[in-house]
Amino acid sequence: MPTVETKYFGTMEYREESVYEFPHGLPAFENERQFVLIEQPESKPLVFLQSLARSSLCFLAFPMWAVDPNYQLGISHEGLGLDTERQPAQGSDVLVLALVALRAKFSATANLMAPVVVNLNTRQALQAIRSDSLYSCEHVLERATAEGMC
Amino acid sequence: MLVLRRRAGESLLIGDDIEVELLAVSAQGAKIGIRAPRETIVLRKELKITEEQNMRAAEGPAVADFGAALKKLRG
Repeated sequence: MPTVETKYFGTMEYREESVYEFPHGLPAFENERQFVLIEQPESKPLVFLQSLARSSLCFLAFPMWAVDPNYQLGISHEGLGLDTERQPAQGSDVLVLALVALRAKFSATANLMAPVVVNLNTRQALQAIRSDSLYSCEHVLERATAEGMC
Repeated sequence: MLVLRRRAGESLLIGDDIEVELLAVSAQGAKIGIRAPRETIVLRKELKITEEQNMRAAEGPAVADFGAALKKLRG
C-alpha cells in the first residue's frame, strides 16, 4: 500500500480510494491537487484532508451535516460533474465538507460559504464558492456544538 | 461608500483606465462588464475571502497542540 507523510499522524498507509483529486487545487493552494481523506475513530466526525505532496498541509474539516444539518448545497449539476437530473444526495453522491479555521484559544470557525465538494463516484473535488451570502465564511463552531448538546 | 444609480447600458469610470458597465439587470442579479488594463486584478470578493480563510485553515493547530484542539473541536 502507498504511504503518505502526514502532519499529525506520522507516516500512514492509504488506499487509492481515499485520494481526492482537486483539478484546480483550492484557492490560495492552486498547486495542491491531491488530498487523502483521513478519518480517525477518536476524532469523528472531524476529518482531515492531508496533501499528498506537502506533509505540512493538512486541513481539518467537518462533514457539512455535522455543522448544519439543513445546509442547502445549491450548486449546479454541471459544476459537480454529475449528469443526473435529481438533486445530488449528500453522503452517497457527494461529500460536502466545511474547512475549519482555528482562532485564538482554540475557538474555531467553519467556512460554510466555500464548501469542499467531492463527487464520490469520480473522487473529483473542488472548493465551491457561494455568492448568495446565505452562509458565513466564519461560522462559529462552539455555538454549534453547544446547541447540539442542549 | 459612493453609491450611484445606473441603468443597463450605462457605465462609470474609475480613474483614467477602468470602466465598469452595467450590462443587464434581472432577478438573478446584475451583469457587469469591466474594461481595465491587463495588469489590473479583478476578483470576485468571495474568492479573495476564500483564499484568506484557506490560508488560516491551513495553519491548523500546531502539532504539539493537536490533542487539545481536537478535544475542543469535538465539544
